[in-house]
Amino acid sequence: MSNFLQLRNIYKSFVGVRALKGVDFSVRAGEVHCLVGENGSGKSTLIKIISGVQPADSGELLIDGVGITHATPNEMIHRGIQVIYQDLSLLPNLSVAENIAISQIAMIGRKLIRWSEIRAIARAAMARVKIDIDLDKIVGDLPVGLQQMVAICRAFTSDLKLLVLDEPTSSLTKAEIDNLLKVVRDMQANGIAVLFISHKLNEVLAIADRVTGLRDGCTVGTVPRAETNLEKLTEMITGKAVVHTRFHLPAQPRKKLLEVRNLSKKHNFADISFDLYEGEILGIAGLIGAGRTELALALFGISPADSGTITVDGQERRIGSVQDAVEAGFAYVPENRLTQGLVLKRSVGDNIAMAMIDKCANAWGMIDRGRRTGLIDTWVRSLAIKVANADVAVQTLSGGNQQRVVIGKWLATEPKVLILDGPTVGVDIAAKSSIHQIVRDYAARGTGVILISDEVPEVAINSNRVLIMRNGRLRSEVNAEAVGTDEIQRMVEIG
Amino acid sequence: MSGPVSAHSGSLGGYAVKALLKRNEFYLAVLILVLCMLITAINPAFLSPQNILGFLKTASVNGIMAVGVLFVLILGGTPDLSFTAIAQVVEYVVVLITLAFGGNIVIALLLACLMGAAMGAVNGFVIHYFRVTTIIVSIATANLYYGMLYVLTGGSVIFIVHPMFKRFAEFQLVSFADAAGGTWGISLIPLMWLATLVLGWFILTRTFLGRAIFAMGGNEIAAQRIGINTLWVRVFVFAFVGLLSGVAAIAHTTIVLSAIPNSIVGKELEIIAAVVLGGASLFGGKGTITGTFLGVLLFAILRNGLVLLNISSYWYDVSVGIAITAGISISAWQQLKAQRARVNVNVEEAAAQ
Amino acid sequence: MIRIPRKPGAAVDGPLYVILVAIIILMTILNPGRFATMSNIESMLYQLPVLAFLSIGMMVTMLSGGINLAIVSTANFTGIVTALMLKLMTDGDSASASATITIIAMAVGFAGCLLVGAFMGYLVAYLEVPAILATLGVMMLLDGINVVLTGGYTLSDFPDSLMAIGNDSVFGLPIPFVMLVVVIALMSVLLSRMPFGFKLYMLGSNPVSARFSNINAYKVLMGSYILSAAFSGLTGIVMMGQFNSVKANYAQSYVLVTVLACFLGRVDPFGGAGRLSSMVTGVVILQVISSGLNLMRADPFFVTAMWGAIILVLIVFTHFESWFGELRRMAKATAVNSEHGNGGPGKDRPRPID
Repeated sequence: MSNFLQLRNIYKSFVGVRALKGVDFSVRAGEVHCLVGENGSGKSTLIKIISGVQPADSGELLIDGVGITHATPNEMIHRGIQVIYQDLSLLPNLSVAENIAISQIAMIGRKLIRWSEIRAIARAAMARVKIDIDLDKIVGDLPVGLQQMVAICRAFTSDLKLLVLDEPTSSLTKAEIDNLLKVVRDMQANGIAVLFISHKLNEVLAIADRVTGLRDGCTVGTVPRAETNLEKLTEMITGKAVVHTRFHLPAQPRKKLLEVRNLSKKHNFADISFDLYEGEILGIAGLIGAGRTELALALFGISPADSGTITVDGQERRIGSVQDAVEAGFAYVPENRLTQGLVLKRSVGDNIAMAMIDKCANAWGMIDRGRRTGLIDTWVRSLAIKVANADVAVQTLSGGNQQRVVIGKWLATEPKVLILDGPTVGVDIAAKSSIHQIVRDYAARGTGVILISDEVPEVAINSNRVLIMRNGRLRSEVNAEAVGTDEIQRMVEIG
Repeated sequence: MSGPVSAHSGSLGGYAVKALLKRNEFYLAVLILVLCMLITAINPAFLSPQNILGFLKTASVNGIMAVGVLFVLILGGTPDLSFTAIAQVVEYVVVLITLAFGGNIVIALLLACLMGAAMGAVNGFVIHYFRVTTIIVSIATANLYYGMLYVLTGGSVIFIVHPMFKRFAEFQLVSFADAAGGTWGISLIPLMWLATLVLGWFILTRTFLGRAIFAMGGNEIAAQRIGINTLWVRVFVFAFVGLLSGVAAIAHTTIVLSAIPNSIVGKELEIIAAVVLGGASLFGGKGTITGTFLGVLLFAILRNGLVLLNISSYWYDVSVGIAITAGISISAWQQLKAQRARVNVNVEEAAAQ
Repeated sequence: MIRIPRKPGAAVDGPLYVILVAIIILMTILNPGRFATMSNIESMLYQLPVLAFLSIGMMVTMLSGGINLAIVSTANFTGIVTALMLKLMTDGDSASASATITIIAMAVGFAGCLLVGAFMGYLVAYLEVPAILATLGVMMLLDGINVVLTGGYTLSDFPDSLMAIGNDSVFGLPIPFVMLVVVIALMSVLLSRMPFGFKLYMLGSNPVSARFSNINAYKVLMGSYILSAAFSGLTGIVMMGQFNSVKANYAQSYVLVTVLACFLGRVDPFGGAGRLSSMVTGVVILQVISSGLNLMRADPFFVTAMWGAIILVLIVFTHFESWFGELRRMAKATAVNSEHGNGGPGKDRPRPID
């Protein structure tokens, strides 16, 4: 097979920071090539260069053996490279037809538009992907799953040669990914290649023909799928071996912390009942759209449940707001650290003190600086947050340290029930295990933990029990200490 | 003239009715109809062609500028506040130049468009290059332009304008004799408004540029990735706003036949309110020409109606205030309700255990 | 666009103080023997509070990520309600009102402005109407109500006790100025030492995170709009005292000037950043410029044009300053270690405008 895309010795800097320091790799026509690497390894910069959004500082980019000197988005689309971005990059205010057709219209360079042409382009793309969505629907009104399909259709408009998928599993469900890959495989005969960027190594192993690792802006090697495994890949991108230990809950009488009965919320989840005991880490697993996060948001008072009871420490609680939830002893580390967890521009200290600021006030209603500083120092120290001082803006921290700040903010409230929703998304592999260790330590001190994650292995390894959710309902409960990760994964997929 | 978002919607029947009920324009049109009936019931003179043509003519100045405001709101974010200052400056300068050098109405219009577009484009460049919010930049340029106008001209009122403005104002496409022996007819000024509406509609729904404006309003980063030249689109929009301010300036001059340096400035918030009432979103990416037209029309009818009903014009501001406050509250409430009813998870009917 | 101050104190306001001193020197030179005089300073001290109160009121809403376009209309509304109450309680002879009646009238006027603030807060916090729209609507409504209440006329002749608020002095300082000093002290405690201020900054920086972090967004937003309206009320009373009259459209142009003062004081129009001291310095700079130009017999509209020009210069200046700052930070970051800040997805995407 010939190389469709070839990168030679690519360098790229952003105002003084070298993002890429000599990247070499190639994508063959018709292969599924995976690009793996930790945060800051240069994956997203590489995508920008391949898609023509930003030029490389130096190095060669060849398509079908021809060097490209001035890459622009239009140029790359013209040459058959399409990117499906993590955030889908849709235009929420426009119709399905327009979203699918607009990049092609832009590429052709039409000044005037004909709606019949737009619809024809959109229909053709949908026919290629073999799906059917109402062309006149406004994309922002569609459920997320269909929005993703629109993004996929858009990629299939032109003469597609290389489809770049930027962390697709952050927004696509497994069934949708499978569906997408099936479409791609169908078209492999035409020589379409896929470049799949991900940090979820188990997914990479499931689909790749070849894998290229990226570390600190350099390629660390390209290996065929057959010659690698999870451990080798991990070592490739982190530079060191990482060992996982399973969580074990020592047998002893335990107090019931939380009792949830028949909790329901229309269009979110229905009839949820479960218990949580002190010291437990209760995993909740399920596909995207199963209702895991919605359940957490209801327990935390962001979008309260319609009916059902929540009993904390033997006392029934009405939870209608975050304040109610915190009062009852809940803490929630949200799904999206950057938009929901942190105030990025503010300091580490401000972020840690945020949930407790009223408790820092003295009799005059003024913030007691000593109390505030004491609180912040305690949590910076006990969670080993790597930061010169607590006045540094939290946005300058690495993903792992940022997540510790969020966790610290909530541990400071001394919660009875700590809910973690995707606690290690976008966190480096080494930092992941230390965050898991923090969670285990606090569970051991008697906090009840509810652990929600997209990554089934994370839930399986770090919980003693796992609840499996599907279509807004609890389907089964698994003793995670006795059942293997693969079995839990299978149960999640079939429900 | 249908709105850009649904201009291509083909399916009819129940779906179309539902879509109609969802649209702002529908409620606005109903409100206008009710208002018209109320006013007519008390004073039938409201429905006379003379009266209708009269208030349409007066509303033209705001109406032309409102199209520009719509473009800025669709592009996204906070509104531009400088367009009235631009119109004011253009009006004064064009009146002075035509007095000094003569000329004809076409040249005056071209000059006004050019000046307006240039002043508007400055906003676009500053906003794009320095990444500052529209509201701050446009307050700055509005103060600068308007202040300079006063400083350089002393702010004196020009009572006599070049006679061509009067000729233009009196030109009637169709004239009729009225009972008093005078004539009335369709003047060119409302037609300027109509032309602006058609131009705006054409750009928004029939050109790639128009769709690019919507795209940027919806998701600027995605628009960039698609390959839209965001600098050019932004500069175009602000230059277009300026250009329409120039057109409005000419319309205004022909109506008032004088140049008073504070006769347009101060109307900007009312015009923005009309466009917002017409369904344009302050979050960008949403808005229609029809809605904009109806919004301006509503305010024009309100003003005219109060006069015909012999109610003090003081109540005009109150009624506009109530209209805008109630309008935004209702639409915000509807949005909240829709948000709460959103389907996050397709919950299975019964647990299959 | 606006840097987050890391260290409190003069270091952050430094450039503003330099500008202030430079402008004072410039004005002294341009107005020989007229600018640096007791009478001019005194007149500036009389004029400063009105703009400062309004600007602080504007700032409070901007910190939450909003804006208050109704700030001047609310001030006029308070004045008009107070004036009408005086008239009502004295059978038309407002000037004869006793101190008690004056206080009652002022209380009613003040209650009116708080009500307006609560209404705006309700629209913004509970109905989630964009602040610019909510306050625009309220502004138009109030302007209309003000005209209807006054019939378009100027109401005047107030009791001496009320005039004293605007014109008398204590310890040789004008009462409005003394009020301003007290208010600044109280506000700086509220904003930087009390939970409300902390929450306001956090909410303005990231409303979603704030809500997820046990901050009651409804309460904070309501609080900020009521507080903002209270500043309008204060301004309304002071203006009554100073002008001995109220009118529906006094000081309308001040709305935009307060936005300018906030911008000059580096209050982030998107919320969450801005220091009271910077903002007050910004107000003082504007006052010095306007008084100085006034003494030069400059056209008042020249002042308007100047303010526009100042914003534009500032925009360019801030742009390059933050650009250099970025360069310096980046260079430092590379020197220290390679594990620089990871913003996760979307870290170095182009920033959308607005």
